[in-house]
Amino acid sequence: MNQTLPLKSWLKYQVNRFAPALFFIGLVILWEIICVVGKVPNYILPSPSAIVTAFFNVEFSRWMTHLWATLRVALMGFALSIAIALPLSIGMMRSELMNRILYPALIVIQSTPVVAVAPLIIVLLGTDDPSRVLITCLITFFPLVVSTTTGMLETPPEMIELSQSLRAPRYRETWQIRIPYAIPHIFSGLRVSITLAIIGAVVAEFVAAEEGLGYFIQFSTSFFKIPQAFAGLIFLSIISLLLFKSVQWIQMWLFPWSLPKKK
Amino acid sequence: MKTALKTTFRLSLLAGVISSASVMAADKVTFQLDWLPGGDKAPVYVGIQQGFFADEDLEVKIASGRGSTDALTKMATGQSDIGTSDVGALMAARAQDNVPVVAVLPYFTQAPHAFFTLENSGIKSIKDLKGKKVATSPFTSSNAFLPLVLKQNGLTEDDIQLVKSDPGALSPMMITGNTDAIIAWVTNTALFESQAAGAGKEIIEMPWSNSGLSLYSSSLLASEKFLEERPNVAKRFIKAFAKSIEFSYKYPEKAGIDLHEMVPEVDADIVAAQLKSIYNLVYNDVTEKDGMGKFDPERIQQTWEYVAEANGLSETSLDPQTSVNTAFIPE
Repeated sequence: MNQTLPLKSWLKYQVNRFAPALFFIGLVILWEIICVVGKVPNYILPSPSAIVTAFFNVEFSRWMTHLWATLRVALMGFALSIAIALPLSIGMMRSELMNRILYPALIVIQSTPVVAVAPLIIVLLGTDDPSRVLITCLITFFPLVVSTTTGMLETPPEMIELSQSLRAPRYRETWQIRIPYAIPHIFSGLRVSITLAIIGAVVAEFVAAEEGLGYFIQFSTSFFKIPQAFAGLIFLSIISLLLFKSVQWIQMWLFPWSLPKKK
Repeated sequence: MKTALKTTFRLSLLAGVISSASVMAADKVTFQLDWLPGGDKAPVYVGIQQGFFADEDLEVKIASGRGSTDALTKMATGQSDIGTSDVGALMAARAQDNVPVVAVLPYFTQAPHAFFTLENSGIKSIKDLKGKKVATSPFTSSNAFLPLVLKQNGLTEDDIQLVKSDPGALSPMMITGNTDAIIAWVTNTALFESQAAGAGKEIIEMPWSNSGLSLYSSSLLASEKFLEERPNVAKRFIKAFAKSIEFSYKYPEKAGIDLHEMVPEVDADIVAAQLKSIYNLVYNDVTEKDGMGKFDPERIQQTWEYVAEANGLSETSLDPQTSVNTAFIPE
């Protein structure tokens, strides 16, 4: 009588386990059906099958060339923004004056649409990687600064008082108390930044580039190859997802204690 | 004796290396496109693939651009030495900012702007556009000339309903009936036709050059610094480029293959179709009268008058002849 119960719970478990994948597959099938039944032309919304065909029509080595160009710029821009954001946050946390001077400037930089000044950057720095890396950095570094500063300021005051009463030097206060406390905040900033890094690289490629996934997408639309553009877009989103996951893996590997406790 | 022989051998080897290195040290030139690679941009690729530049001891690097102003800026700031862009945009830029760029060789001797509409739209001429919805892209140089071509056909901008949209969306808008007509360059005709055919429709092209708007358009431009500092390189480049134009339009299929070789994303047959459909922009009654590769001062003046009117500039703000440098045109 109870024999169906394990099967039922097993099914329930499996459905639950693969829910994200099932949802995604269902969505793709629905998309295909809408395109086929509704006879939606490719230049309005290409069907998943047309996109897959377009993906394989482009040589693998071309995909790798474009991927490498975008990834290179995104990662360099991301690294640069970490290199700028961390010292800046430490400085802003330590000095009230610096905080007052820099914060408005940072907000101005962040709220300037980079697309609008991108041509200017290209003119100043040339059409090669440096200008693209700078554009990426400009887009990515703000969330990092904000989350790192917030994290360091949220250190429990008792800890700071304790370290001060023990006459710990300030660098030890920063490195051994504040930064460890800020790690969860820093990593949430890094997760936001890494997806922005891809967007930054693509924006830069829209302005000046001879290769890269952003360039490839723009190129495909200029030739009205919409399924090919979609293939590029989907490839781009997969890369973003992987990079996002990588940041999580790095956090798990280096700072497992900083992750929220699992139930 | 043996050492002497060895030394001689080594010396001659060294001499050989040095002389071959000097042969290899071709002059480097950065070429600026005003848009992404495509049929109308084929000549420079053809010149590289067919070895026309190598024959002149030139090593050419190509940079893609994002519009005529972008291309002009890159040449003016020295990011690129020479390239193609609209001579009208150059004149407007010189009148306002005196940018250090000049035209050295005509390419399109007729303007590429056109209206496109579906065959069954009932629109047969520009006059029929009265009261119709027309879509254009926000940054195309065509927009500046639109009031002129409408005026020549007895219309004003108020007579049409103008909407702006992304260049890639124009043709789908027309095919799906979202707009009655679109404004685009005739360089796109082959693409539009294949797209319309996919939906079982046909398109009509109405070039503005047939309706009185007759002027120089895309030309070979060069930075003044490049011409001053490396006149010899410039002269050789222009000679090879003229040869490349000729080859591209004579053998469009080969040009398509050459471009595809360098930019695999571009289909060779589309490039060939594009080159054939724009043949008249390059070879027409103007080039027949003046000869290929010659700027006619009168037509330069006429082009400037159109550009000045289209951009709301005073005609005296520029001597249009200063936008052109004919000293480098190959004999």
